Amino acid sequence: MTVLKVNGRKVEISDRGDRTLADALRTDLGLIGARVSCSEGECGSCTILVDGLPQTSCLMLAQQAEGKNITTIEGLADGENLHPIQQAFIEEQGFQCGFCTPGFILSAKAFLEENPNPTADEVSIGMSGNICRCGAYPYIVKAVLRAAELMNAPAQAAE
Amino acid sequence: MKSSFTYQRATTPIEAVAMLAQKGAGAKIWAGGTDMTLHWQQEKTKPTVCIDIRDLKELDYIKVERDAIRIGALTSLATLERSADQHHVLASLSKITKLMATPQTRTLATVGGNLCNASPAADLSPAFVALGATAMILGESGSREVAMFDFFQGVNKTALNGAEILEEVTIPLPSDGEIHVSYRRIDRTVVDIALVNGSAAVSVGSDGVISKVGVGLGAVAPIILDASDASAELEGTALADVTVGKLAAVAATAAKHAKPISDIRASAGYRQDMVEIMLRRALEDTIKNHGGTI
Repeated sequence: MTVLKVNGRKVEISDRGDRTLADALRTDLGLIGARVSCSEGECGSCTILVDGLPQTSCLMLAQQAEGKNITTIEGLADGENLHPIQQAFIEEQGFQCGFCTPGFILSAKAFLEENPNPTADEVSIGMSGNICRCGAYPYIVKAVLRAAELMNAPAQAAE
Repeated sequence: MKSSFTYQRATTPIEAVAMLAQKGAGAKIWAGGTDMTLHWQQEKTKPTVCIDIRDLKELDYIKVERDAIRIGALTSLATLERSADQHHVLASLSKITKLMATPQTRTLATVGGNLCNASPAADLSPAFVALGATAMILGESGSREVAMFDFFQGVNKTALNGAEILEEVTIPLPSDGEIHVSYRRIDRTVVDIALVNGSAAVSVGSDGVISKVGVGLGAVAPIILDASDASAELEGTALADVTVGKLAAVAATAAKHAKPISDIRASAGYRQDMVEIMLRRALEDTIKNHGGTI
């Protein structure tokens, strides 16, 4: 067995070499928030964070993840408290069918850590690795901007 | 059917080479693996052993030295993208990187992996050819250097022989004056590969005279073409005397190297027409970067 660190917990997956991380997350661990759509690294729906950076889990081998901190959408909320980005996506209705949403939210998390006060154009470029087949893009951009507000709010209150 | 393979992680570059030698032809190197995993899924390659080198820190660096910029083969595209403030050549390469794949793929993918995949339409390759870069290759008996234009041997084929890995791309810097590089590509949509791409690198000495011009062309042959021999009309010309006509003449000469094909993305005729126009624009970009006016 191979030990991975997923959402802060040590978990075991099969030590088979020839499978993708997306497959291991979904099949071995039941973390089906990593949605597999194109399987070619273009649509971004299987996006996860590896040591805080966004990666498409369909193009990564499961064994490549050993020793790294993996975050999936399931690991974002703190118990019943949604992560501010999740909250913002609900408030701004940053989705229609919701299939692509986990990938967008995880891309947004890495993006906002690098750029906490983005413009709408910067959000569009930052989210360029995720495709929404419903075309909810304007709402997604609003949601990411709202998430930035929510995440900056405690810091501003302390000033 | 997709092949079954075992996974091994190399802990040093030399160990990776030794593993390749020991495991034979079925062993394939995974750098970031974004191309390899895809090609395996699409059954374009049938590895029996995956040798993962992604985390070899020894090959993950960008060094700006007086006479060269050294980019470790395992530098991620995301790291290259964020290196813009280290040198103006890196700023140009950073701009190219932003055109490549998605932010997610750039996190995992490496500069060396992109070169070793040897796609005729690769985005960084024309710039490295135009810059006169060399590839540092590590094998069982030590390291050797290959000029970037010789590194590409065919579609998905490189100068790497058997048990060898790419260690570094070395970009020489002129001893006098500055070099600027630019890149142009014509594409159908984002995340797609280029229909035609090309790069121009122009060195201008401290006397204001163009000392060297390099040209790399992509997606118009099975390999990246070095069309630097078209530069005669510009070399020795003062920056102040550069005209659109001279740039167009270089572009026209360089474009004769192109042997494009027709495929799903574009016709050969369209590519042939575009390569000249695109290259003239790339040359204009470099002249402007040098502070020249056209």
